[in-house]
Amino acid sequence: MKASLLFCSTLALSTLALTSAPSGVLADTADLRVYTYDSFVSEWGPGPQLEQAFEQQCGCDLEYIAVEDGVSILNRLRIEGAGNKADVILGIDDALIEETRATGLLQPHGLDLGGLKAELAWHDADFVPFDYGYFAFVYDSTRVTEPATSLRALIESDASVIYQDPRTSTPGQGLMLWVKSVYGDAAPDAWKQLAGHTVTVTKGWWEAYSLFLEGDADYVLSYSTSPAYHQVAENKQQYKAAAFSEGHVAQIEVGAVTKTSANPELARRFLQFLVSPEAQAIIPVTNWMLPVIDGVELPNAFDSLIQPQRIGFTPQQVQDGRRAWLREWRSAASQ
Amino acid sequence: MAGLAGATVLALSLLLTALSFYGLIGFEHGGFDSSLLGDPYFHSVLRFSLKQAGLSALLSLLLAWPVARALYYHPGLPLKQGFLQLCLLCFTMPTLVLITGLVALLGRSGLVTPLLGEGWNLYGLNGILIAHVYLNLPFAVRALLLALQHIPDSSWRLAAQLKLGPWQRLCLIEWPALRNSLLPLFGFIFVLCFNSFAVVLALGGGPRATTLEVAIYQALKYDFNLPEALTLAWTQLLIAGGLFLLLARLGSTHWLGVDSARKPRTPRPSATQQQLHGLVYGAAWLFLLLPIAALLPGLLDADLIRFDWPAVLRPALITLFLGLGASVTALSAAYLMLTPIRRARLANQRRLTLALEWLATHTLVAPALVLSVGLYILLLPLVDLDRYGMLLVLLLNTAVVIPFAVQQLRPRLLQFDSQYDRLGRSLKLGVRQRLAIEWPFVRRACLATFGLVMLLAMGDVAIFSIFGNADWTTLPWLIYGYAGTYRLQEASVASALLLGLCALVLRIFERERQNA
Repeated sequence: MKASLLFCSTLALSTLALTSAPSGVLADTADLRVYTYDSFVSEWGPGPQLEQAFEQQCGCDLEYIAVEDGVSILNRLRIEGAGNKADVILGIDDALIEETRATGLLQPHGLDLGGLKAELAWHDADFVPFDYGYFAFVYDSTRVTEPATSLRALIESDASVIYQDPRTSTPGQGLMLWVKSVYGDAAPDAWKQLAGHTVTVTKGWWEAYSLFLEGDADYVLSYSTSPAYHQVAENKQQYKAAAFSEGHVAQIEVGAVTKTSANPELARRFLQFLVSPEAQAIIPVTNWMLPVIDGVELPNAFDSLIQPQRIGFTPQQVQDGRRAWLREWRSAASQ
Repeated sequence: MAGLAGATVLALSLLLTALSFYGLIGFEHGGFDSSLLGDPYFHSVLRFSLKQAGLSALLSLLLAWPVARALYYHPGLPLKQGFLQLCLLCFTMPTLVLITGLVALLGRSGLVTPLLGEGWNLYGLNGILIAHVYLNLPFAVRALLLALQHIPDSSWRLAAQLKLGPWQRLCLIEWPALRNSLLPLFGFIFVLCFNSFAVVLALGGGPRATTLEVAIYQALKYDFNLPEALTLAWTQLLIAGGLFLLLARLGSTHWLGVDSARKPRTPRPSATQQQLHGLVYGAAWLFLLLPIAALLPGLLDADLIRFDWPAVLRPALITLFLGLGASVTALSAAYLMLTPIRRARLANQRRLTLALEWLATHTLVAPALVLSVGLYILLLPLVDLDRYGMLLVLLLNTAVVIPFAVQQLRPRLLQFDSQYDRLGRSLKLGVRQRLAIEWPFVRRACLATFGLVMLLAMGDVAIFSIFGNADWTTLPWLIYGYAGTYRLQEASVASALLLGLCALVLRIFERERQNA
């Protein structure tokens, strides 16, 4: 009886809390709809701050529609086709650019992107980059005192490594491109050698990263910006990204205007806003990636990050090679 | 009336599966990719899926057996009720929590690792097996205990008169009682492990440890290769479904209704045996508690005062609501689905019974990922999923837990039929009167089932990841959100909260059940 009472009161309380919370029902009247991924719109992600700043500027109503991750944005577009609701898609990464373009659902942004950092070498007519980061192996400097200085050195060492599965995760695909661009045709041998001191290969980023933080490996595949999070949010200095002499592969997150947008001018304005100093100051400390323009004021932690040379493939090369490279990894790493 | 409703619910659940497959087949150039079946990669994935599932099921059963015996021969063991509740909690433990706990315990810097010697490595087949045994041994313990408790007192009296030795008692009395539940149990655990994915990858040590689910995930998500995904899904449905059909033929596992009030007249074990049983019981406690305890140091690191409690309150409530909604619907659906099954059984139509039972539980073997993605593809152009997605989260969670509800309710209802159906008919009782007699008989089974399916639905992330809406974030999804953005301490606090919530729900239902 007591338990039932408890249960009923919980129910009543819950109803109260749920109805008093902000309504989840979407307004049909939004001026600008943006497809993006979940962590972008989470409370601590860049979404809410960017929305507020842009809405103040344009006097319009922006609405995010969030799906699980970057790949899901593309899949949703593929399923909906021309019936999609989006004016802007935000959060596809450069490796998926060609597949996304192939849907034929986008239109050129028509923006002058002369202000972007030179290292991005950005000339795409459809996609606008809004942040980027380099894939990097992160280590705990209290445990690893002499970190590897090149990808070759790491692969030839016996240091324990955790990375993510390229079949299920973006960083995993990043490493696949990295190994391929450093080793070329010798990639299978490199994978075999790496497999000898790989602790495990996880489904997604967080599994790998939390195993690493539990102390289960010397190195974990993550981003060059990861140490900034530990410094800014946790005031921990020991986590560092290893700078590799061959250079690093970048992940560039991009946005684009859909062909079916009812409000393409506003959509363009939003993309332009994303590369403005105001938005670029918000993104790094919420999405933990690097700004795409120079001269953005950031916490000191960002100054101490490694500044790698960029290597890798064009989106077109990635699209052409991905399937074969995945197979190569699969058969070499499972031996 | 009830028969018609039951048939409708069965048809609806089949329709749901059919629609999701139709969604995949109907999109663009869907179909069947037969070239995949000759791919050596596919063969190795299949071999590994079968091997790890088989070993996991076997080990879970072998290790559960002595624990169940200890519980059976010593009804007076301390904290027995607590242990049985812990068993349920472990069975429904979110994988995220389990992986973290096991690594904190047995990983390279784990608490127990120094005791395990130089060569110890958690990652690989042993990691997968430890995790799967952790999840399924508790399930097996409860089921085997129940089977032992069904040994009639007369058997023990006879054994005493005939002065049977321990070995003879084992072979002639215990084994026949267990035999019927062993195969179905094996099949059930096998299917659950066969469909496992995140645990296998995280603890498997590399791409050698790949299950069919990984391949399905990759095909559906990263390659968006629907023919390949469909081929894999059919394979899984065929293997897991075939096994499950076999299992249904051999009977059903009933493991929730552990009855502690009844003390069987078992032979008094010797002092050595008593010590041995106590040891086994203690070891089982340790095995189940340690991974949870290993999470505590991480929790102490977290700043519980600065933790954003209001941020988790709403997700926690949504999770509770989702669990409640799914379990109420699933329980009602399961009850209705069982009506035609009971009729077929009473009319002695064996094949029909079997077919209906398979139908009622088929969502257990259909990959949840395929179900949700198929429906997503079908519905996205038709329905405003951004608005009504949560309804689908509820619907699909219900569909996924229905098999558990059917399985748990079935034996009790069949028992009712065999004891009271004739009487009811000869007294010409109406539907209402029959229900009034039935309810006290099945109430305890209902309450226990309710708790179990609620816990299962509360842990869902797979379905939410597809249909969920950021405004209606559930607690498990919030945990993934924290973990995916460096906030691992917040994730561990939220995990502890989820675990606590599950334990609370479990306590409420088990207490109600005992009072019932």
